Amino acid sequence: MNKYNPDRMNPSSLRSRFTTRFLRNLSKIHAQKPSSSSSPAEIFRRYRRIKVAADKSMAYSVRSRRTWSRAMLWKLRTRPCSTSIRKTRHEKQNKNRTTTATTGEDRVGFGVEADELRELVPGGEAMDLCNLLHETAHYIKCLTTQVQVMKKIADFYSP
Amino acid sequence: MELSAGTGGNGSRKTASERDEVAVLESLQFTDEIRCLMSAPGADNASSFTALLELPATQAVQLIHSPDSAKLIAAPTPAPNVDDFKGSFQFPFNSGLTERAARFSVFAGDGNINSNNKSNSPEPTSYNSSASLQKPVKSEPAETESSQPLVSDPTVENLSIKRKGREKVKGSAKKSKTAAKESSDDAEQLPYVHVRARRGQATDSHSLAERARREKINARMKLLQELVPGCSKISGTALVLDEIINHVQSLQRQVEFLSMRLAAVNPRIDFNLDSIFTAESGSLLDGNFSGMVMPVICPEVQLNGNRQQFPQQLHSDAFQQPVWGREEVCNNYITPENSLLSFVAASLHSNQLKMEL
Repeated sequence: MNKYNPDRMNPSSLRSRFTTRFLRNLSKIHAQKPSSSSSPAEIFRRYRRIKVAADKSMAYSVRSRRTWSRAMLWKLRTRPCSTSIRKTRHEKQNKNRTTTATTGEDRVGFGVEADELRELVPGGEAMDLCNLLHETAHYIKCLTTQVQVMKKIADFYSP
Repeated sequence: MELSAGTGGNGSRKTASERDEVAVLESLQFTDEIRCLMSAPGADNASSFTALLELPATQAVQLIHSPDSAKLIAAPTPAPNVDDFKGSFQFPFNSGLTERAARFSVFAGDGNINSNNKSNSPEPTSYNSSASLQKPVKSEPAETESSQPLVSDPTVENLSIKRKGREKVKGSAKKSKTAAKESSDDAEQLPYVHVRARRGQATDSHSLAERARREKINARMKLLQELVPGCSKISGTALVLDEIINHVQSLQRQVEFLSMRLAAVNPRIDFNLDSIFTAESGSLLDGNFSGMVMPVICPEVQLNGNRQQFPQQLHSDAFQQPVWGREEVCNNYITPENSLLSFVAASLHSNQLKMEL
């Protein structure tokens, strides 16, 4: 008979890592929240925080193994504190990467769609088509796990 | 027959390399005959090979043995005659004939044809590309011994075979750089072949690299097609990419909706991981990825439902908040028990938790 919980079979899988981190962050957010949660503004703020927590926990689960996770982590880190130093450094790096990565040959058959994909996938601007497809595949996989876990949590908590 | 005598005379020496030379010589013979035909004013049709045979054998043999034959062949004067007889002869490429003739003149010009076989022997072997040519060439002597009026057709076929053989050689030469170099050596002397060889050689490394890149990209596109549901049926990279983009956008939107739902949900329950896992397991067994297709269609429906639920949940939250605070304290004591219990009766326990709250 199979075990009930596939996440127990593989505790280091992406799904279990994400679940633990996300739940921890969720509990932190709900612990922080004040008693009155009636105003939609409050809910909106919480929604924002939860969204950030979800992205952050996903990015942390992947660590720096993927370009998109690195880009997302950097984005999350520099979002609240707008330090000029960090931004200029990273902007310089980004500029260098964009000039070298995108050659004329890469754009042959995939002009418009590749640009859209670059916007969607974090950190996609500085990648050539080949790596972009690779990152997209992993990004889709992670997004599906994220959606599954969040859906289950939401279903669990809603009546 | 004169031809067979000639072949017999040449074929008396039967070593492998000499046989190659013989074959080359015989092909030379044929080109000489063709030259004679073209230069002869009275020749009308391809059937005039009989006229060729009426040529005294002496003349044919002389053409072989004389070093002037090289000059005859290499001379560009037959060119106008070639044009005259273009229609009458069944050879599709007369320019190919001139090259081949000139090519074989290379063999002839380097040394005496009959005497210095040893000097000629390294030449055919050094030219690897010509090695494949000699095989179809050998079929010619076999057919000369057959009926002579048919000589015209086999020669046409042989010439076409020669051409195909050369094209095959050129195709294979693209892969081996040494052969490409040899073809380029030939190319220096023959303008027609020069174009082909240059194309194959110049794009060698570039085409290989490009091909590798394209294969890599195609492999990754196939992986993506498998990941995205409903993408395997679509053909064409642009449409597939559009589907992928739509899928990524829908997934991101789903994450937003779910986070909004979670923000609205009041966490009146403990965030006990075990209980959540056990609850997950029940729904996991129902089918993981088939469920993913439905949410793609229904997220908007869910969103509407969520929006309507918000005012209702706000009311319920107000009632349950004081209870929530107490439960948080209690949960710290309960958690170790929960972890134990979840091992024993997983789904039952989660249901009990839900019932309590």
